Amino acid sequence: MIRGDPVIRGDRGTRPPSTGRDYTRHALGTIGRATLLAVLPAFFALPLLWLASAPFDAHPSITTSVPEFTLANFRSLLENPYALSSLRNSLIQAGGSAAIVVVLAALAAYALSRVRVPGRDALLYVLLLLSSVVTGTAAMVPLFELATRLNLIDTHLGVILTLSGGLLPAAIFILKDFMDGTPTSYEESARVFGASPLQILGHIVIPLVRPGLATIAVWAVANVWGSFLQPFILLRDPGKAPGAVILYTLYTEGGAPRLDLISAFSLLYSLPVVVMYVFVSRRYGFRFHGGIKR
Amino acid sequence: MISLSGLTKEFPGGVRAIDSLDLEIADGEFFALLGPSGCGKTTLLRTIAGLETPTSGNIRIGAVDVTRLPPGRRDVAMVFQDYALFPHMDVTANIAYPLRIKKVPRAAREAKAAETASRLSLSELLGRRPGQLSGGQQQRVALARAIASHPTVFLFDEPLSNLDARLRLEARTFLKRLQRELAVTTVFVTHDQGEALALADRIAVMSAGRIMQVGTPSEVFQRPANTFVAAFIGSTPMNLLPGRAENGALHVAGAVLPLPPGVREGPIVYGLRPEYADLTQSPPLGRNDAFTGKVAVVENLGTAHLVTLESPSAEANHLLQVVVPEGEEPGLGTPAWVTPRPGRALLYRDDELLTSA
Repeated sequence: MIRGDPVIRGDRGTRPPSTGRDYTRHALGTIGRATLLAVLPAFFALPLLWLASAPFDAHPSITTSVPEFTLANFRSLLENPYALSSLRNSLIQAGGSAAIVVVLAALAAYALSRVRVPGRDALLYVLLLLSSVVTGTAAMVPLFELATRLNLIDTHLGVILTLSGGLLPAAIFILKDFMDGTPTSYEESARVFGASPLQILGHIVIPLVRPGLATIAVWAVANVWGSFLQPFILLRDPGKAPGAVILYTLYTEGGAPRLDLISAFSLLYSLPVVVMYVFVSRRYGFRFHGGIKR
Repeated sequence: MISLSGLTKEFPGGVRAIDSLDLEIADGEFFALLGPSGCGKTTLLRTIAGLETPTSGNIRIGAVDVTRLPPGRRDVAMVFQDYALFPHMDVTANIAYPLRIKKVPRAAREAKAAETASRLSLSELLGRRPGQLSGGQQQRVALARAIASHPTVFLFDEPLSNLDARLRLEARTFLKRLQRELAVTTVFVTHDQGEALALADRIAVMSAGRIMQVGTPSEVFQRPANTFVAAFIGSTPMNLLPGRAENGALHVAGAVLPLPPGVREGPIVYGLRPEYADLTQSPPLGRNDAFTGKVAVVENLGTAHLVTLESPSAEANHLLQVVVPEGEEPGLGTPAWVTPRPGRALLYRDDELLTSA
C-alpha cells in the first residue's frame, strides 16, 4: 500500500483515529497479503506437484490432475534400453567431475590463499570471467575440435574434463575465501611440532574447510547433473549419454513428447540430487562463507 | 643455550624488524623479550621458532646451528597468542598432536596426553573441544600440548594477553611455577613490563629491532641503561627532567642538587622514579634540594596515590610525579615539596646512564 505525502500522514496523527475505517483497511491488507503469499508458492509448487503425480498417472498430460494410479509408466521406461544406464552415466560424470573439481580447487585455493603471488586477485577474476566462456556455447566448436584431437570424443573422461574446467575457477574462488578465513597460526603450530605440508593439509586444513569442500562437491554434482550441451555434443554413443541427454530422446517418431516416459524419467532423474542435498546438508550444513567459529 | 649472533630480519619493502642482534640465553632460563608493539620481539621469537627466515646472522640452540633448519627439526615448542588449538580435535587429540607427528602409537600418546593433562588439572576436560573451554583452560591446553612435545626450548608469544585481568595474575603465578618445575629454557614475548618483571629471570628490552638493555628484572628496573628503558619499565613512568651540571651542582627544574663525583659539566637528564621521592606539604628545613610545585592531579592507586605536581617556574614548566602513601595525599592546588631519596635518582647524558645521584 502506498501512503500519500507526509502532510496527509500528519493530518492522520492530529485527528482522532476513525477506528472502524482503520480496522477495515487493516483487515483488507492482511487478507490481501495472505492471498498473495498463498498464490505465489502454489504457482511454484504446481510443477513439483506434476512431478509427483504425473509419473503415476495412466494418462499424464501437461496439466496437474488427480492421477489414475499406475506403475505402468515406470515399466515402459525400463523397456527403454538407455534410461537406467543413463542415470549411471550421470553418476559417473557428476562424481568424476566433482572429485576433480574438489581436489584441484582445494589445492589451488590453499596455495593461492597462503602464498603471496603478484597479481593473484587479477588472475582469479580473469579465470572466473573466462570460465563462463570456456564451457559456454561459444567455445563448443574449439572444445569439440580439441576433444577430437585428444581422442576424448565419446568418452566419459572428455565430458568430465570439459565440465570440470568450467567449474574450477568459481570453485577455487569460493574455496579460497574459506581458506582465507582460517587463521595461519593453526598451520604454524603444526609446523613447529614437525608436521610436513601434506600432514598439515590432511590433519588441519581439510578438516577445517570440510563444510566448504562439501558445498563445492554438491554444487559440482548438481551442475554436471543438469548439463546438456557438452555431453550432447561430446558423446555419440547413446549408451554413454547422461540423463539430461536421454530425457531429450523420449519422443515418438512423430516428434510428440511421451509424457508417460518423460514424467517417470524426470522423477528418477531428480531423486539422486535431492537425496544428496538432504544428506550433505544434514551432515555438514551448507556454509557459503568461510571462517571457523572460535 | 640459545645464542643469536648478528641476527637480521628485513621484510620486503625494507623494514628491518630485527637489526644485527646478539643475544645469549642460558639453559633453563626464563627469558623475556619486552618492548612496545612493532619493536620486533614477535618477529624475533618467530625467527627462533623457524617460522621466519633471517636475512643474515645465526641461531644456535645447544651445539646445533639451526638457522636453516625447518621449525619441526629445532626441537622447540611454541604457544601462540591465540593458542592455535585445533578446533576440530578434542583436548586429548590436541595435546597428543605432537606425539602423533612423531608416530607414537595411539595408546601411548593418549596415555601421555592424559598424564600431562592431569598435571595441569585438565583431566575433566579431555573429551571437550577447544570451543567449549574458557580462556584459561584453553591456555593450559596449549601449554600441555607444548609440554607433551618434550622440547628443549619453549617459545611463548604473549602467553597471558588473551586472559582477563584477574585470571592473568593467577596464570602468571602458575606459569612461573610450571617453568621452575620443568626447568626448560623458555623465551616469551610480552609488551607488559609488569609481566616481564614478575616472570623472567632475565629481560631483553627491545626497541626498533635492537636490544636496548639485557639484565635481571632488578637491574633493568633500578639501573635502566638509557632513557628508553627508564621510561618503559615501571608501572608509573619515571620522571625524566632536563637539567644542567654547573658550578659543582645539579640544576634541575628549579632545584639545586648535589653533583655526584665524576660528572662533567653540561646538560643532563635527571631520572627519578615516583616511588623514590618523599612529598612534604611544607618546605624541608634548611635545604634547597627539593622540587616544588602545585598539586595538579591526584590519582588513586589503591594502597597509594600518584600525585602530579606542576612546577611554578615558567622557564622550567615540567610535570613531576610522586607516589604518596595512603592517607597522606595533599589537596588539589596546594603547594608541595618533593625530596628525592639519596642514591635513587639516575643521571643520563647523551641517552646513556652516567651514575646515580
